[in-house]
Amino acid sequence: MDFSELSHQSEIRDSLDKILIEQCITENLKKFDDKFKHDEELLSLLATNGYLGLGIKEKYGGTGENLYDLGILFEKLGYHAAPLSLIGCLVDVAQTIQKFSDDERHLSLITSIIEGNIHTSAILEPLNQDPENPRTKAEITGNQLTITGTKYLSELASKSKNILVSVNSHEGVLLVLVDSNKTDISELRTTANSPSFKVDLNSVCVDRSSIIHTEGRGLEALRYLIQINMVMRSYLALGVTEKMTSLIAAYTSERKQFDRVIASFQAVSHRAADCFIDLECLRLVNQQAAINLNSNLDCENDALVAKIWASNAAHKISYSAQHLHGGIGADKDYLLWRYCLLAKECELINGSSSQNIERLGLNITSNQ
Amino acid sequence: MRKQDEILVAEMLIQLNAKQAKLKSELQEYFEGLMTPALKAELNNPNHFEGGGPEFKNAMQTMGADGWIGLSWKKELGGKELSPMEQYIFVETVMRTGFPFPFLTTESVGPMIAENGSDWAKEEIATKILQGKLIFAIGYSEPNSGTDLASLKTKAIKEKDGYLINGQKMWTSLANFSDYIWLATRTDFEVKNHKGISIFIVPTDDQGFSMSAINTLGDVRTNATFYDNILVPDSYLVGKLNEGWSLITSQLNLERLALVNHGPVEELYNNVLNLAHQTKINKDQYLTDLSWVKHNLAQVYSGIEALKLICWKQTWIMESDQLNMAEASVAKVYGSEFFIEAYRLLMEIMGELSLLKNESELSILNAKLERMYRTASILTFGGGTNEVQRDIIAMAGLLMPRTR
Repeated sequence: MDFSELSHQSEIRDSLDKILIEQCITENLKKFDDKFKHDEELLSLLATNGYLGLGIKEKYGGTGENLYDLGILFEKLGYHAAPLSLIGCLVDVAQTIQKFSDDERHLSLITSIIEGNIHTSAILEPLNQDPENPRTKAEITGNQLTITGTKYLSELASKSKNILVSVNSHEGVLLVLVDSNKTDISELRTTANSPSFKVDLNSVCVDRSSIIHTEGRGLEALRYLIQINMVMRSYLALGVTEKMTSLIAAYTSERKQFDRVIASFQAVSHRAADCFIDLECLRLVNQQAAINLNSNLDCENDALVAKIWASNAAHKISYSAQHLHGGIGADKDYLLWRYCLLAKECELINGSSSQNIERLGLNITSNQ
Repeated sequence: MRKQDEILVAEMLIQLNAKQAKLKSELQEYFEGLMTPALKAELNNPNHFEGGGPEFKNAMQTMGADGWIGLSWKKELGGKELSPMEQYIFVETVMRTGFPFPFLTTESVGPMIAENGSDWAKEEIATKILQGKLIFAIGYSEPNSGTDLASLKTKAIKEKDGYLINGQKMWTSLANFSDYIWLATRTDFEVKNHKGISIFIVPTDDQGFSMSAINTLGDVRTNATFYDNILVPDSYLVGKLNEGWSLITSQLNLERLALVNHGPVEELYNNVLNLAHQTKINKDQYLTDLSWVKHNLAQVYSGIEALKLICWKQTWIMESDQLNMAEASVAKVYGSEFFIEAYRLLMEIMGELSLLKNESELSILNAKLERMYRTASILTFGGGTNEVQRDIIAMAGLLMPRTR
């Protein structure tokens, strides 16, 4: 048992910090507060320095298949509130293809992603609480799939050449790559202004070779995608909540009332301590989930536990931070407000706490 | 950036290694053998919840003879010098069986005496602790000294033949069947509180020793103990005069960690899960078919996962000789408060059945649920109250200023 980071992981952490501190200064972040939140410059900087290949096998141009490394990237993107939404691309598409495809045409997308191109996913559907059972349908005739349905919260779909879509068919669940030009894409405005899209598929025809997994493994691949998405989103939440907690410590140690810094009031310091406890729990359940995913252990429950902690911590720490900052916390000239919006997205996307608790409870009681 | 495909991800695995897993199953097997029906029956008797009965004494001596006492002690002191992780596994396994193992005697007091005691204490006391023949009670708290322990007033005055001890202690658990009290006394009245404290070994068969029982909500007996002109020889002093505070604090992290070990709550969760799964609520439905039951189970499960990881990480920190004040306090606060929540959620699952006492008809799971909730609050203030732990977290973990 070892909780320490490998030396290369501390290096990743430090060098990512360096880049992101420079790129995510308030002045830069402000540029994206009201418009399409996607920092091309930062993306190509990350690509040039090899960070988009974290968690990707060396043979595809990555730095090695270790999901803990990829977790560090998302933790840091969250910590610095980077104007980039890369889970669809780096996690859903690159990781799932790496794990399930042996087709050169699909695998070449991984290389393309590492170079800084966007190929995203479209998994979630409005009002469908069970992403493992997509309502989007594919009719299969011969070698041809005809896909119809509506997806939403697809990151950066407008920038994406290919979109990985989950569908149901008479062969069961399939993960299919679709040319984005064949779909109708419209921009959504989410609470944190993330670049999010609705993707309509109206009888989109694709070839069978667009299915990224071998026959019969569709559900397995989709479940893997959902799990790894949960874990990486939990890492994003970890970064967001780490930053909010450090803001609490810094602000309350400076702000004076009644001639003393408010951090010296026990009520204040204890609320901060509770944030620290939640943070420590989240860090550990994330670490367990990432490491077990690495080892191909059955870890749906670990992923659910991570996401449950992430949702709860995101909510609790966000409101503790706002409360302990007083009015400054809501002031858009200060930085906390961006984190509060990000926290809410981390909390709800790909399953809320309550939804995942239900899922976990189902797993626990059906494995008896 | 360095390439790292060659690094084995297995090294990062967060689970017991083969040697640790083997120790765990060895211990499991050993304790299954130790917990005879007679011992179990004795431990179900409220007078013997915490040990002290004849079967308990037998079991302790058997464990001593089989070499299962003194696992944390250094080899040169006659112990096995297990690593912190192996000790954690030991505590976990023992607690899962429900055997009231006297950890404070064997793992805190014992090694401190073996290391810092007089020649007499090393030979007479430490050896017998290793043999399972002696039990200690801890005499720290006093009526007016709890969280502010260093303000304690019980005094030991140097006389020609030793030290004369006078005072009163509170919450001296196990004193009713202990051979000695590990007693914190004031020996210097001129210096700052924590600098004038010394530790003595005080025999409970001295005529100046007396006690009165305090019966608690959880049916755990504890005691008020009185020390009236007890004269102990110099050799009963442990460590140096006036340097007792460091003995009190030296093993705090380890002791706190033992308090919030994840074993017992996981055991209780497993028991409730199994029972709920077999409990029919109508013709074709079991308790576990209800969505709110699933919900409660999942809440407890995700809480246990975090507790297990916090405890393992804290153990790993000790194993690698790092010092991290904040994390030990995180374990204590989170664990003690989670237990309360977990007991509640698990009791909800079994509903009113959880209210039935052990001797009652229809009672379930040896009425463990009925008993555990009554003992739960002790841990939020005992072992270092959670307010102080949160102060420590804010200072050591978040570098915030000291509160006042």
